[in-house]
Amino acid sequence: MTTAPVGTDTLVIAPMLVVLVAAVGTLLLGRRPRARATVSLAAGVAYAVAVAAIDWYIVLAPDAPGIATYQVGDWPAPFGITLVADGLSAFMLTMVAVLGVGSLIFSTRHLPGGEERSYYFPLFHFLALGVTGAFLTGDLFNLFVWFEVMLMASYVFVAYSGGPQHTRAAFWYVSLNLLASAIFLLGVGGIYATTGTLNMADLAQRLAEPAAYGLEPVPVVGLLGLLLSVFAIKAGLVPFQFWIPTAYRAAPPQITALLAGATKKVGIYAIIRLSFTVFAGAEVAVDLPLPLVDVAVTGNSPLPFVGAALFVMATGSILVGGIGAVGRDSMEGVFAYSSIGQVGFIAIPVAIAATATAPGLRKFAIIAALVYALNHTLAKGLLFLAVGTVKSATGTSRFADLGGLASRSPPLAIAVFVGSLALVGIPPLSGFFGKFLVFDAAARARAGPVIVLLLVGSLLTIAYTTRLWNQSFWGARTPAVEAATVDSVQVAVLAVLAAAIVAVGVGFEPVYDFAEAAAEAALDTEGYVEAVDPQDASELTDSNAGGGDH
Amino acid sequence: MTAVVLAATVGALFAIGTFLLLRRDLIRVVWGLAIISQAANVYLLSMGGIAPATADSVPILAGHGEHVPQTADPLVQALVLTAIVIGFGMTAFALVLSYRVYEEHDTLDVTELGDRE
Repeated sequence: MTTAPVGTDTLVIAPMLVVLVAAVGTLLLGRRPRARATVSLAAGVAYAVAVAAIDWYIVLAPDAPGIATYQVGDWPAPFGITLVADGLSAFMLTMVAVLGVGSLIFSTRHLPGGEERSYYFPLFHFLALGVTGAFLTGDLFNLFVWFEVMLMASYVFVAYSGGPQHTRAAFWYVSLNLLASAIFLLGVGGIYATTGTLNMADLAQRLAEPAAYGLEPVPVVGLLGLLLSVFAIKAGLVPFQFWIPTAYRAAPPQITALLAGATKKVGIYAIIRLSFTVFAGAEVAVDLPLPLVDVAVTGNSPLPFVGAALFVMATGSILVGGIGAVGRDSMEGVFAYSSIGQVGFIAIPVAIAATATAPGLRKFAIIAALVYALNHTLAKGLLFLAVGTVKSATGTSRFADLGGLASRSPPLAIAVFVGSLALVGIPPLSGFFGKFLVFDAAARARAGPVIVLLLVGSLLTIAYTTRLWNQSFWGARTPAVEAATVDSVQVAVLAVLAAAIVAVGVGFEPVYDFAEAAAEAALDTEGYVEAVDPQDASELTDSNAGGGDH
Repeated sequence: MTAVVLAATVGALFAIGTFLLLRRDLIRVVWGLAIISQAANVYLLSMGGIAPATADSVPILAGHGEHVPQTADPLVQALVLTAIVIGFGMTAFALVLSYRVYEEHDTLDVTELGDRE
């Protein structure tokens, strides 16, 4: 059992408390819009401060412990609810904090909807609470619960604008995710029955020594497959991508920025956390022919299966997303499909990491995935917010009604230009390093077909960003653009995000160090287990039987 | 015997749920989702072990006094309780949404929904 929760351990729960208090507080301030917005903004800043404190005191400071745990109610690990903050969680939280504050400031200037405005900020904070909880939890069932918290808020947001097509999109979004939740429960139940625990650290410990706990690890591969499909739905990987275009079009743009930048990353995070920290140590003999990559995919863990599945899904995502984006007729349509393609670029290095046998390559590939995820959050967040700016200025985002935006609002155009270049991967922007590392990882794995795939994906990115630019920013001004009044605060948020993209690219070294710390944390199962310190059930009962024997 | 009956029940529930999910009527789709999430709940409950559990399989009891009663695994019951609450809430939400779809589209037929933009 840990000592009384003071100092860094208490810090772990700080961001969750901030958003929870903010959610309830803004709910109580239902009839005072100005106070609601002020409290929300203050909470957003407090959240960012809490996350920055986690970054510094737990991960980046010279004498930082690298990982901290908070045992809720002071119950010891396998029984109580554990919250864990390590490099990987901190990296993900930082992305959410940056985008969240930007989206909040943006929201204070442009709130869609009429009566339902009262519930906008509480829902926003509940969405952030679910995302934060999912990043921090050290327990499989709690991951399910936080997913549900996050999803419930996002359901309402998809239905938020209230038109017939929004309701329809929300219905299919809800149906798909209810089905995914049922599958998640099947996976969780199966893992509990197989291993006798749901605590991730305890799980990792038991899977690494199956004989000592009297459990059979082979079914775990199938159960991990179930979980993987659930996370792939959240991440929007092909073949689970079909809900994204309609849902992203239906939600308000600043929420879509969060859906693409934050909730999508929860799926990626869960794949990385469970595959590498928890299930990597499971003793399962694997002999899998994988023609695409020239690395040995025989091994002693379920990781090659994860890698093979991710390769297939990522390939589909890059092609479907890229080709789909080229043919859309509205800005958010292009970015929604682009989002499907970009998540493929994040999944490819994760797949390389899963199939790699050399520890160096594995770590490097995870770093590449994380840096690309960071770039995607910044760039896609910026671009979806820009869609919001264009929509609130002109009332439309269809290419047919747009044109000449560049001369109407040069700062807006520059911000979108920077965001598009970051998607393409032009130096010195954050996207360049993201793309470079992903290509480098594929080259180090000597995976020729993967490099070709990445090249095709990049060319498609250039095609659709160019088309979007030509259709809406150049050319003659349409009446809608002529009559537009561009909100200066919204453009300021875009400018700050664009500056962040440049700053990450120019001062890349500390970002790389942070990503490296995150990748190390993701691979450090022993450190994770030690920090959470699950007391073995048999120590308490003075018996050798674990929970896995029923 | 209990295990076989339970397995058959879970299987039947999933089959019925999937069948309803593939209907054209939106209300049936919601029913299908409700039945599938109940099937997942029954499955989760059975994962705790069907035979009465002992101190070995319910380690949390051992930390509280000497006497360990014969009982089923309370952990899965706590999990199922949480899952039921979430599932019912979401079923209610899905039903409200389907009513809203009916109001806006004047139909609950899936194949006719796509026609109105």
